[in-house]
Amino acid sequence: MKNIHTYISFFLIVLMSCYTTGQNNEVTTDFSLETTQTEFEVGNLIELKFSTSREVTPLLYCSSSYGSTLITPTYKNKQLSYKIPSSVSNKIGVVRWKLIFEKTSLSGTFIIKPKEEVSSIETYIGPPSIEAGGKDYTMLVVIPTDSLDNPLSENTLVQAKHQFLNSEINDEIYTKNLIAYKNIYSQKESGRILVSSESLETNSKEFSITVFPAIPIDFKISASRPHDYADGNQITTFNTSTIIDKQNNIVSDGTYVTFFITNEKGNVLKTEGSTINGIATSKMIHPDYETQWSIKAYVDGIAESDVITLNYKQVIKDFDVVFSENNREIIIGPLQSFMKQIIPDGMQVKLLIYKNNSLFKTETKTSFEGLVTFYLKPDVYTKDTYTIVVKTAGIEKTLNSKTLW
Amino acid sequence: MKETSNKYLIIALLIGIVFHGASIFFTLESTYDALIHLFFADHYAHSWFEPWNYEWYTGFTVMSYPPLVHQSIGLLSMIGGLKFGLFTVALISIILFITGVYRFSLLITSNRTVAGYASILAVFSSSFLETLHIFGQLPSIIGISVLMHALPEIYLWLKTGKRWYLATSLSLVAVTVTSHHVTPIFGMIFFIFPLIGMVIIDVSREQVNSMKEVSFKLFLNSFFKLFKRIITFGISSLAIIIGCILPYWINSKNNPITQVPIPHGSRDNFLEITSSGLVFFLIPWGILLILLPYIFYRYFSKRYIFFGLSITILTVLGTGGTTPIPRMVLGETAFNILTLDRFTLWASIMSLPLFGEFVYRFVEGDLKTLIRAKFGSVYHRIIGGILAGLFLFMTVFTISLGYFRPSQPKKIKMLPIVNFLNQDDHDKWRFLTLGFGDQMAWLSAQTNAMTVDGNYHSARRLPELTTRPIERLENSKFKGVAGIGSLQQFLTTPEKYNLKYIFSNDKFYDPILYFCGWQRLRQLENGIMVWERLNVPPVSSILQKDDVAKWQKIIWGILPFLTVLIAFILNIQMLLIHALKTRPKKVPEFLKHSISYSKFSKSILKITHLWSIILAIIIFYGIYQFYLKNDSQRIPENAIMAYYDALDFKEFEKAYSLIDPESDISIAQYMLEISVTDGLLSSYAKLDAIETVITSRNDSVATARVTTEWITPLEKINRVDYKSLSKHHNKWYILPDGLDTDLPPDQLYSNNTTSFFNQGRRRITTEQTHHEDVLKQPVLEVLSAKLVKYNNHYAIIGEVQNIDNVPADVVLKGTLYNNDDKSLATYNAKYHVKHKLLPKESSAFRINFEGIAWSKIQDSIPDTFNPDEFTPIDLDEQPTKFNLQVAGNVSGSDLYKNIAISNLNINDEVINGNLFNSGIQEVTVPQLLISYYDENKTMLWVDHLFIKEGIRQQRKQDFEYKILKEGKVKVINDNMENVFVNGLPNEPISNKIIPNRIENHTNAELQRINHTDFSYIKIETNTYIGSPN
Repeated sequence: MKNIHTYISFFLIVLMSCYTTGQNNEVTTDFSLETTQTEFEVGNLIELKFSTSREVTPLLYCSSSYGSTLITPTYKNKQLSYKIPSSVSNKIGVVRWKLIFEKTSLSGTFIIKPKEEVSSIETYIGPPSIEAGGKDYTMLVVIPTDSLDNPLSENTLVQAKHQFLNSEINDEIYTKNLIAYKNIYSQKESGRILVSSESLETNSKEFSITVFPAIPIDFKISASRPHDYADGNQITTFNTSTIIDKQNNIVSDGTYVTFFITNEKGNVLKTEGSTINGIATSKMIHPDYETQWSIKAYVDGIAESDVITLNYKQVIKDFDVVFSENNREIIIGPLQSFMKQIIPDGMQVKLLIYKNNSLFKTETKTSFEGLVTFYLKPDVYTKDTYTIVVKTAGIEKTLNSKTLW
Repeated sequence: MKETSNKYLIIALLIGIVFHGASIFFTLESTYDALIHLFFADHYAHSWFEPWNYEWYTGFTVMSYPPLVHQSIGLLSMIGGLKFGLFTVALISIILFITGVYRFSLLITSNRTVAGYASILAVFSSSFLETLHIFGQLPSIIGISVLMHALPEIYLWLKTGKRWYLATSLSLVAVTVTSHHVTPIFGMIFFIFPLIGMVIIDVSREQVNSMKEVSFKLFLNSFFKLFKRIITFGISSLAIIIGCILPYWINSKNNPITQVPIPHGSRDNFLEITSSGLVFFLIPWGILLILLPYIFYRYFSKRYIFFGLSITILTVLGTGGTTPIPRMVLGETAFNILTLDRFTLWASIMSLPLFGEFVYRFVEGDLKTLIRAKFGSVYHRIIGGILAGLFLFMTVFTISLGYFRPSQPKKIKMLPIVNFLNQDDHDKWRFLTLGFGDQMAWLSAQTNAMTVDGNYHSARRLPELTTRPIERLENSKFKGVAGIGSLQQFLTTPEKYNLKYIFSNDKFYDPILYFCGWQRLRQLENGIMVWERLNVPPVSSILQKDDVAKWQKIIWGILPFLTVLIAFILNIQMLLIHALKTRPKKVPEFLKHSISYSKFSKSILKITHLWSIILAIIIFYGIYQFYLKNDSQRIPENAIMAYYDALDFKEFEKAYSLIDPESDISIAQYMLEISVTDGLLSSYAKLDAIETVITSRNDSVATARVTTEWITPLEKINRVDYKSLSKHHNKWYILPDGLDTDLPPDQLYSNNTTSFFNQGRRRITTEQTHHEDVLKQPVLEVLSAKLVKYNNHYAIIGEVQNIDNVPADVVLKGTLYNNDDKSLATYNAKYHVKHKLLPKESSAFRINFEGIAWSKIQDSIPDTFNPDEFTPIDLDEQPTKFNLQVAGNVSGSDLYKNIAISNLNINDEVINGNLFNSGIQEVTVPQLLISYYDENKTMLWVDHLFIKEGIRQQRKQDFEYKILKEGKVKVINDNMENVFVNGLPNEPISNKIIPNRIENHTNAELQRINHTDFSYIKIETNTYIGSPN
């Protein structure tokens, strides 16, 4: 079995070689290439000349990396001359040609070489922003091109230059596979890298790369407030220390910091801020009852602050509750602050009305000139006996079995 | 006999052209339909032979509407622009209508003077006015007008059998059908069939001496005699109706209308919904209502008996849902597709000849003699004055209806929008308009940009639209749940439709746009706000279309004008003879049957009197009821109703007038108190339902429980208020409520913030990607993500953080897969995420998988509105895996973070707390995102709460959140293998930036709660700022 295969392959090889030899024999009889030059500079006129025995004008098939075309010759004195069109001769690379006439076929190649000049430098750089710390980098890709937009030949020297802070660095790189590239690594500092390149005394334009600071490290917080009373009407401001990354760069503006405040009841309050020049500021209204806050700030998953504690002192010591109009009108107050001044308007007073020992309804009002007046509408509170709880500033007063009628 | 010009007709034409010609410039553009026709015309003007239009929906074919009117406007637009075309065609339609009524009246009454009277009356006929000036139904008007022109020709063909008349009548039928398809079909039944009957009776009458001798046998004989002509006409006109707009019929067959019926006022019960009764019954009938006895009496005489039957059916069908008969006659499907107002229009047009006859007899005929003899000439004059007055009142009222009750938003200047779309390749994306009304069609006509919406609902193709009873997304707020639900889907997954820009003319939609992840771009100079969504790919340059055969396109492009040309050639000869009176014309056959107006029936006069009295009683009763309902201070209920209405429509002065004058609040104080309240409820809510229960009342005071339902773009709000009222001088007043007296700490304060501005391109160039100016997409990290099942629906929940140094807009897109990696559903995060994140900020998220609501059981569409209603997607298979694609884009907008949780009180069921606004912007809609955790601090679920009231600067706002009762959450999959950020795998990319992340960092600060299934919660805040300053 195997023998048969060998025979067949052998036979085929013989047959094919006969065929190709035959062809070659015929070509030499009709045409021959007279142009000997096989390397041309791009942009120059390229003419392929063939001598021919007869006056025929076969088309020349011509193929370059940009596509293929057919070229019509001019015939003069037994000579065919083919002018390679500029669409082909303006691009560097290998051009294959083939002349086919009846059974003859002649083929060959020539090379178009780039000019030894730079007219423009194509530059790509990315990403446009990287992180400080020396790990992250951006890649500069430079393609020096000639006046016909062809990349220059291999190993053309390109100066890759960049400036960062006080340093100006000039790297020599060479084109390979048409391009030259350079990875520019960040340094410890954040800032801006300006990049340009030069080749054959032609310079590129300027590119800029932002070096952002790296992720923040732990920081400290502080609080400031006009007084330490829990009057529910002043603002405590929290500040972080200047938040920096591990290379001492101030973190980028807008970095989000959450301040968690845990009060004595174990409830987690929250306020938020974003940094400017590394300092995040956040505000919180004072509580309206005596409490202690412990505050800690976070940059989620990345950094955190120390814990600070703040104490707020009770301002309202006691208040009166007066019933009138069939016990339906309830006046609470005067609510007085730490210097016995009337508490600023807006102190919240809650009325919890219990009916048969279960919470029936909650009414909330804010104080006006130290007083809060509730009116229990007969539509809602029918004639019955209620237990009324007044809550304000953390103080609770229970008034049992009040009959409304 | 030399024929004189009919002076009445000439007067009618002159008045008609001046009156309508002058007024269309003020009315036509704000009608319902005119601008739609303009859009179609624009399509033909640009691509005459190509029926596919990409601009509306996701492409539709204009073969879904007869083309003649649109093509005419399109052709004329080449001379003087689209509007020139529109007004020219409108003028032509006015001329056609007046002459059509004249010819139809002449045919019916056989009296030129009467026909002249009818044509004058037609000019002011309220149904015609309404159709033209309110509805803008040009094709319908042209259709019926040409049909009226055809009727005498049909009569002559049937009577004489001359082929010429067959040709003229068929040519006119062809024009009718190419301008409006419904008109000839129903016109066949309601106009041509009775006409055939009339011809047969006329033929029978000519064989005997008097009408009395016309027996049924004779009628049948004549019918068989004319049978061949009738059949010839019938078959050939049917062939013409089908043949002339053959592509239309093919298209209807291939793309049958399989959509949920859209409610139309003409199908309402007119007694219940009085506004529909006014527009679809009272106005089109107008003064004809008084003459109904006369019209019916005349049409039920022997000669017109078939017209009598026809007008009866038309009248009944025109009553819509008032009686069950139309539904029974038409069947459920036809009833829900057809708009029934056309029946009333035809009935009123059919009445016009007899209206003319009545007026003729009243003004100079036997009726005048009769009334003068019976009641004296003064009475005649008074009655004449009243009738004329009523008629003119109806005319003025109808034409100015659009002024009293604008059906459209104010006219919008389109040029800034058109310019915006042309700038910077904005037309490479689809856009959507909100609150434009029918003017959206005019915008579409002026731009090449495409919209996902459209204004021709029969051509809708997306299931998201066809399954909803809404005409346009554009006005979805008026369409309840279905409307906002549909809109939400487009807003949440806009990349599916390449929807990037929204032009909003209605503040109402702002919160929903914001919470669906849209951002304000800028306000155009015409006041339209442009909203933009990031991360939406442009429309692909090759779009799918349903192509049709070339012959169809050619027929569609050529035939309509050919029919006009043929009709013109065939009929112009007659008209020329008629007009120039070159040779004496034979008296047409139909003029041989005139009756003499010598003895007006006394009983009809009596009945008409009686009927008028009944009508007057009904009208006065209606007005009295209207007064009772609207006298706002007669009873406490009215006072409350009026007060809430005034608040709803922001008529604060009116609301103030209802406030107890003894409460000593000045209007300045009242307005001040109103103006400082902002928020979902006071700025974005529409009152949907109000129920007032007077709980106690005596002579001078009353108390009421007011239950109100408000529609907001985000959710439905139910409120119960208790109001006290007092009575002074027989008028009820409302006692004002107390006011939040909270005083902020500072009068003047400062706040430093980091703000960002993204220039886009630094160089002014149209170059698509100027690579230097392309910003890097911010790197996000998905901290956790899992597929969970809660309450029978699936969701992807988790946390996402912006770990870059620039603020990011976040788009989260989740896909569910089953065990065989078959994709089951894709959806985006809607309300449950902060769409804008500062550097290092994180947000909990939840992606719901919403289905196309109510697509399964069409009948179960709820009547009431609940925008927050959620339709879980119907999954055939069990999802077991998920894929999460997160995309970040640099965005500097909506980064307000100055909201603090300043107090919390937690019990087993509710969380009460206060939010404090420490910044310098007024927060319009605060939102809370509440994440639930189990004992091991693993996230299980994410919920949200919109707070109804806004928060002013340095003020507190309390909130109440009900802790979820149901807590069984099943975690199906928490494998984060298929989580991608900006197309790259989540983990490697985040490891590069944060190699040593502190896992579950803020878990230490979770809030403990008492719940059987959940142990901790976390509350995050998000804010919508309505008017940033």
